[in-house]
Amino acid sequence: MKHLKPINKKATLVEQAVDGGRIEEVVAMQTVVGCAATLDPGWEVDPFGSVAALCAPMEADLYGCSDPCWWPAQVPDTINTYPDWNAKAPSAQNDWRVLQSVFPKK
Amino acid sequence: MKKLLCGLAAVAFLTAAPAVAKDYLIAGVKPNKLVVIDPAARKVDRMIEIPGPGIAPGTIVPSPDGKVAYVVTNRLESISGLDLTTGKEVFRADFATPDVRTKAMFAMEVSPDGKELYVMQSPVKLGLGEYQVQDTRIAVYNTADGVGAKPVRVLNAPRRLVLFAFAKDGKSLWALGWDLYQIDPKTGAILQTHKVLNWERANYSPPDILDVWPQFEQAGVFSTPYFASRTDVPPTDPSAFKTGILTLDLSNGKVDMKDFEDTSVVIFSSVVNPVRKSEVFSVYSQLSKIDAAEGKLVKRIDLPHTYYAINVSADGKELYVGGTMCDIGVHSSDTLDRLAMIEIPGCPDQGIASLRIAKR
Repeated sequence: MKHLKPINKKATLVEQAVDGGRIEEVVAMQTVVGCAATLDPGWEVDPFGSVAALCAPMEADLYGCSDPCWWPAQVPDTINTYPDWNAKAPSAQNDWRVLQSVFPKK
Repeated sequence: MKKLLCGLAAVAFLTAAPAVAKDYLIAGVKPNKLVVIDPAARKVDRMIEIPGPGIAPGTIVPSPDGKVAYVVTNRLESISGLDLTTGKEVFRADFATPDVRTKAMFAMEVSPDGKELYVMQSPVKLGLGEYQVQDTRIAVYNTADGVGAKPVRVLNAPRRLVLFAFAKDGKSLWALGWDLYQIDPKTGAILQTHKVLNWERANYSPPDILDVWPQFEQAGVFSTPYFASRTDVPPTDPSAFKTGILTLDLSNGKVDMKDFEDTSVVIFSSVVNPVRKSEVFSVYSQLSKIDAAEGKLVKRIDLPHTYYAINVSADGKELYVGGTMCDIGVHSSDTLDRLAMIEIPGCPDQGIASLRIAKR
């Protein structure tokens, strides 16, 4: 009779791993796994500590930066987790109103 | 009789002469299209859909014969090769396997004979509760293997290679990462390393390069901006920060790095004038003409918006600025004045997609 019940995702993984003989593969989280290929000034602030040398307009930079995960911008990651986030907004300058927030799936 | 012979010779010459190849611009737009542009006519020639899921096209590499363009697609997890005349997919390599997610981070190139495609790959093993980053590598494909191609060999590669350029003789593959590596395309052995990040320049910080746009095909000279700071003056001194141009001549391997100004604007990428190779043009929110040999800025104008990519006509007279939004700007290389703007139908963003020249 099972007395332990998983109540979060990690615990569910542990249960799956035990059943599949893969318990070594479930490890404690060591770092936040985010979507950022690099950390670069250039979104909130330019290399000179100002805003004048940011992309102009800001929309010119949105997809060129976020689609390849260039910086950890506060937008959903289309490269892995939310591939459809900007599917209906191919033009940032014209379609930005269509862009929505995303919420974790249950 | 002489007249008749001359006439016959003239006719024979005219019928035997091959059609002169013309320059076309190849761009990419969201979510999954290639755009073929006739710059002389100032118009889009055709839009070609890249099959399969796509967020944004990435690096584009035209084949040397101008017939095919290879493009990174499918969230950086596939390469599609598209026939620029028929629009059909004639090559496809998908990287995904059940346990390993592999991304093509920018660097891609085709050999000068058109037979092999080289792609920088960053794989990660997807464990049950963790990701295990794997070593980076260069996957080599035979272009003739078509759709469903698998690598014919895999080369060890230093991390962070973002730009590839084949030497003209096809015997080495130049790769820009932390340093500039000359790689044996058969074995992956590093034949020589030109120090960039690891340069030993007195009183200078290591330089920084942000450049993922291959644009060397007209001049046969690879170029990129770099930024560095001087350590012998206080950071409040305007001369403390320097912008320079790195050039690599793909015919003889000669590398130069020369400062040309105290850093005053950001520049993302550059292109060398094919008819005057000391002249380099760079782009971001300004268009700049630089004398790379003398190390000085010649002229600079503001652009209507930021562009990432820049290319040049074969005669060196026109510049094409692209990337980011949905237009290609055409500028005089002499005055830098805008000559035309070509808008891509539907106005989809180009983002970081390359802007290349294909001769067809």
